[in-house]
Amino acid sequence: MNNTANKKVAPIKKKKPASLDSKKARAGWIFVLPFIIGFILVYLPVVIDSITFSFNELTILSQGGYELDFVGLSNYQNALFKDSGFTEALIAGMKQLIIDVPCIVFFSLFIAIILNQKILGRAAFRAIFFIPVILTTGLIGQIDANNAMLEHMQNGSTNTGLEEESSGILNLMDVQALFSNMAVGQGLVKYVVDAVNSIFDIVNRCGVQMLIFLSGLQSISPAIYESCQIDGASGWETFWKVTLPMVSPMILVNTIYTVIDAFTASTNKVMTYINSIYSGSQEGMVISSAMSWMYFLLVIIIIGAVVGIISRFVFYQRRD
Amino acid sequence: MNNANAPKIKKDSKKKIRVEFERTPLIDRLRAKFLNMYTLKRVLWYLLRFLLLLGVSYIILFPFFSKISSSFMSESDFVDVTVRLVPKSPTLQTYSAILSDNGYFEAFGNTFLLSIICAVLQTFICCFIGYGFAKFKFKGSGILFLIVIFTMIVPHSTLKLSMFLNFKDFDIFGIFGLLHKFGITDRPGIPLLDTNWPLWIMSATGLAYKNGLFIFLMRQFYRGIPDELEESAYLDGSGVFQTFFRIIIPLSVTMIVTVFMFAFSWQWTDTFYSGLFYTQTGPMLLPRIIKVPETLADLAEASSSTLFAAACKNTCGLLIILPLVIMYLFGQKYIVQGIERSGITG
Repeated sequence: MNNTANKKVAPIKKKKPASLDSKKARAGWIFVLPFIIGFILVYLPVVIDSITFSFNELTILSQGGYELDFVGLSNYQNALFKDSGFTEALIAGMKQLIIDVPCIVFFSLFIAIILNQKILGRAAFRAIFFIPVILTTGLIGQIDANNAMLEHMQNGSTNTGLEEESSGILNLMDVQALFSNMAVGQGLVKYVVDAVNSIFDIVNRCGVQMLIFLSGLQSISPAIYESCQIDGASGWETFWKVTLPMVSPMILVNTIYTVIDAFTASTNKVMTYINSIYSGSQEGMVISSAMSWMYFLLVIIIIGAVVGIISRFVFYQRRD
Repeated sequence: MNNANAPKIKKDSKKKIRVEFERTPLIDRLRAKFLNMYTLKRVLWYLLRFLLLLGVSYIILFPFFSKISSSFMSESDFVDVTVRLVPKSPTLQTYSAILSDNGYFEAFGNTFLLSIICAVLQTFICCFIGYGFAKFKFKGSGILFLIVIFTMIVPHSTLKLSMFLNFKDFDIFGIFGLLHKFGITDRPGIPLLDTNWPLWIMSATGLAYKNGLFIFLMRQFYRGIPDELEESAYLDGSGVFQTFFRIIIPLSVTMIVTVFMFAFSWQWTDTFYSGLFYTQTGPMLLPRIIKVPETLADLAEASSSTLFAAACKNTCGLLIILPLVIMYLFGQKYIVQGIERSGITG
């Protein structure tokens, strides 16, 4: 008995068992291993290739493979200074972003708050609001982007010549009439008109954001609301003092997500421009990758700015 | 005290008393209860909310209604000005023409094989990776997570060209390139275009479309699961993986179904990768069936409005999303439930 016990103990003493922490660290590595493998084997080479392409001239060989000719920054220079379309598309894309992102974030927050309250047919409404995430993506979005049928149904007019002027839900003139007595700038009026007219687009793009907001709202403890009610806070006050701070981390996450989503969407003006350059000619391929890397840098800068601004206002509940 | 409304107390016996008082009339009580600012405000807010939800639901559903109705219209309905949403002479010709001419079933089968494997792989892998990020502290996990975000931010069309070339002659560590140099193989890599492998490889490594988002969602979900649960499992002698498969996975079914539905439907309607990795001679996929069917092409050209061609394309779209609709009907309760229980925090 003694002998066997000693034998069993001895090897453990020799080989120190890994501590729980290092064991867990190892397990963590194993869990994220698929991503690491993929990143090193597939993604990194692709990224590096793409960056090198942007500094080279490329000829694809018919028997497979390709040849590169180093040309330095000329692709970038071409994109920035020779091609006026690119900078125009960039500016247009930025403008679109400024309209879209706040609209999407606030609209999804608003709808999430309403969907979180008790209301008749809540489950049905929730189901309807997540339809666009599943159904209006990729292909369907592509069909819809250029859809004579939908326009016809919405306007009820087959006369395409007249449609142009009244195709939006809101007309600029209507809003001007409405706002004429108030002292608001022309810019704001235009902003509102643009936002309302792209409501269809906005509703379609806020599914994931709504999901994130809803789950954020669900995680607020009802006890907080109860104590607010007991202390006599109105719904309005509760929203500003409790709901908003509690979902502020979600606002950050969703803003980042919306910016990324808007930037990488294939319907985005810059993306469509880059794609048209890509398929235009063989030298266009490398110029397009130079363009997209500059675009990517811009995205990073904007996301950095957004994170910098919003994270000042983010409130993190201390967890224990 | 002596007014008429004062309650009268009668003593029935030693232990029992009866209180008699005149109740305020029902109408007055109701008035007091409902005709105040508080209730009024609440009712108005309720109505407003309801109308708003109804309106937005209309915005979401209207395209589908119009597509469905137009898919049953015959070509004469498109010229008829009086026809709006309800077709005058309903017909199934658009459907039958698409089903017979456009190779719908072949494309359906191919895309299904591609999407289901992609979606299962993506769901499982993202689950795995998300759990690793959520529950384990290891050196470099922060940087790794930043890399995940990085793969999300880089626009996929940035990598279009290099991804295409990479998978045209797929190579690992330049092994095949070397073999090619020494004349052992005739191509510098494995040609993977027109096969499902590029997308499967990317799915299996968490790099496919929006997988960064899935990893993020899973990570947030697992962070909400209390650590004590796993600790007690570890104490009972269960290993990390056993715990993951037997305790964590069953807990996260709703989130898994949600991610699966996203992955499947986004892969199903994807145009970017199917345009990149598949050539015209390759396997038939769903994006290629969107066209006016041949038997109806003459009709569409003869028709005075462009609506008929548009309606044909819309009908293709409807046929494409049909399986997604069915999946959504069964799965939507998981999305709704999933968020109710997840408690994602930032």
